[in-house]
Amino acid sequence: MKKYIKILFICLLVPFVWIGCKEDFPIDEDGLLITNRGQCYVSNFELLGSDFQTVRSKNAVIDTVAQTIRVEVFFGTDLKNLYPQFSLVTDAKLDPKITGKVDFSDLNSPKVYTVVSGNRKVRKPYTVYVTVQQ
Amino acid sequence: MKRKYILNIPILLALLLLLNACEEEKYAIPTTKDALQNDVIKRSLGPNLVGQNIEFTYAMALPETRGKLESAQVEASIEGATGTYLENNSYSAGSNGADVGVKIGEPSVTEGKITKVTFSADTMAATLRYFYRIPEAARGQSVTFKFTANSSNGETVSYSMGPYNISKMDMKLDLAVKDGDAAYISIEDMAVYNAAAAEANAGKIDLVYLHRTTPTSFAHALVAPATDAQYRPGITLPAGVNRNTKINKVWALRDQQLARAQFGVFIDDLDFQQLNIADAPNFALNMRAESGIWVETADGKYRAYVYVNSINNTAKSAVISIKRFTL
Repeated sequence: MKKYIKILFICLLVPFVWIGCKEDFPIDEDGLLITNRGQCYVSNFELLGSDFQTVRSKNAVIDTVAQTIRVEVFFGTDLKNLYPQFSLVTDAKLDPKITGKVDFSDLNSPKVYTVVSGNRKVRKPYTVYVTVQQ
Repeated sequence: MKRKYILNIPILLALLLLLNACEEEKYAIPTTKDALQNDVIKRSLGPNLVGQNIEFTYAMALPETRGKLESAQVEASIEGATGTYLENNSYSAGSNGADVGVKIGEPSVTEGKITKVTFSADTMAATLRYFYRIPEAARGQSVTFKFTANSSNGETVSYSMGPYNISKMDMKLDLAVKDGDAAYISIEDMAVYNAAAAEANAGKIDLVYLHRTTPTSFAHALVAPATDAQYRPGITLPAGVNRNTKINKVWALRDQQLARAQFGVFIDDLDFQQLNIADAPNFALNMRAESGIWVETADGKYRAYVYVNSINNTAKSAVISIKRFTL
């Protein structure tokens, strides 16, 4: 009887040890998983006004080779108070983070956002060019 | 042996429960309290604005043996403005849900803080509505109400309601604005002026309404007189009209008192107190119906919410409603 209990106990212990020893994905400073993905691009871009409505006059043009985002906004858009929204490839993150309103009013010095890949090894800066519809 | 007993206990308990559950509960008509009784509900919702009504429904009843209703009165802690009254009709809901009124006496008499109705109908139950027109004197204060009913055998009951805070806000509904005509809006006066009148009130003009078809995203616009000329094309401002108002565009903030739509959203004093539009521009283009703007006047004296009730592209006009808070 004792023998059986011992065997059962060992059988249970083995998977625990096995799982316990498996390596976890590490976590970065934002508490996000660092994965194996190396892809690094912006898949969609949106700009919202202070009323949380889109200010784009048409779809943003994202060039993943040149790493540019070109977006045309309506005439009369308040460029000082805009909320940009980036859609990124899986596991990627953005630097700097967007925490609220962003001032895009200086059209001559466009804003640059860097996309960081899932494995945190690839960093691609994307430049956002805003033009105003006339 | 032991196990058998343990098994029996839940079965017994289950049986007991079953028995209980199956027992029919007999309905008994509640016994009426042998006294004059009353109850009040507040019908109006949202911030209490000066010039608007606070509406209550006052119900009173007594058993047949204790006489009939003699009078009903409401005492407000601050004297109501003209238009304060207690209904002399008792309302109930008809089969189709509509209000059905039965006259119970002559129209109410208001003397000072007290509004009173004397019953002429022989009745032992009534539901009267009370409309308190908020006076200027109550602005920023709180008001309480005491509802009292009297019966023919000398019995009296009372019900207190409140306190209710009276808002500091002002409201103006349905101002018609038109491109090139009644286009100058004054937040201070809560009024719309044409160019000639605007010149006479130059120091009070905070917003200019205009409509342009090109570019297409221009459409209906509310801009400050001091805005960049590209946001007010073709407009020669009347002499002295030059205030720089902060304007923050908002979408789908349909205050119920302004929009009078189905949305239970209310802008209250607190919203204006906490509003921070320091970095807002001085123009708002492409205004649509049901959109609005937060406004802060150049002198920092007023904050307001201007709601667009409707727009008319062909007539180049719009209807706006304003809620204003004095800082």
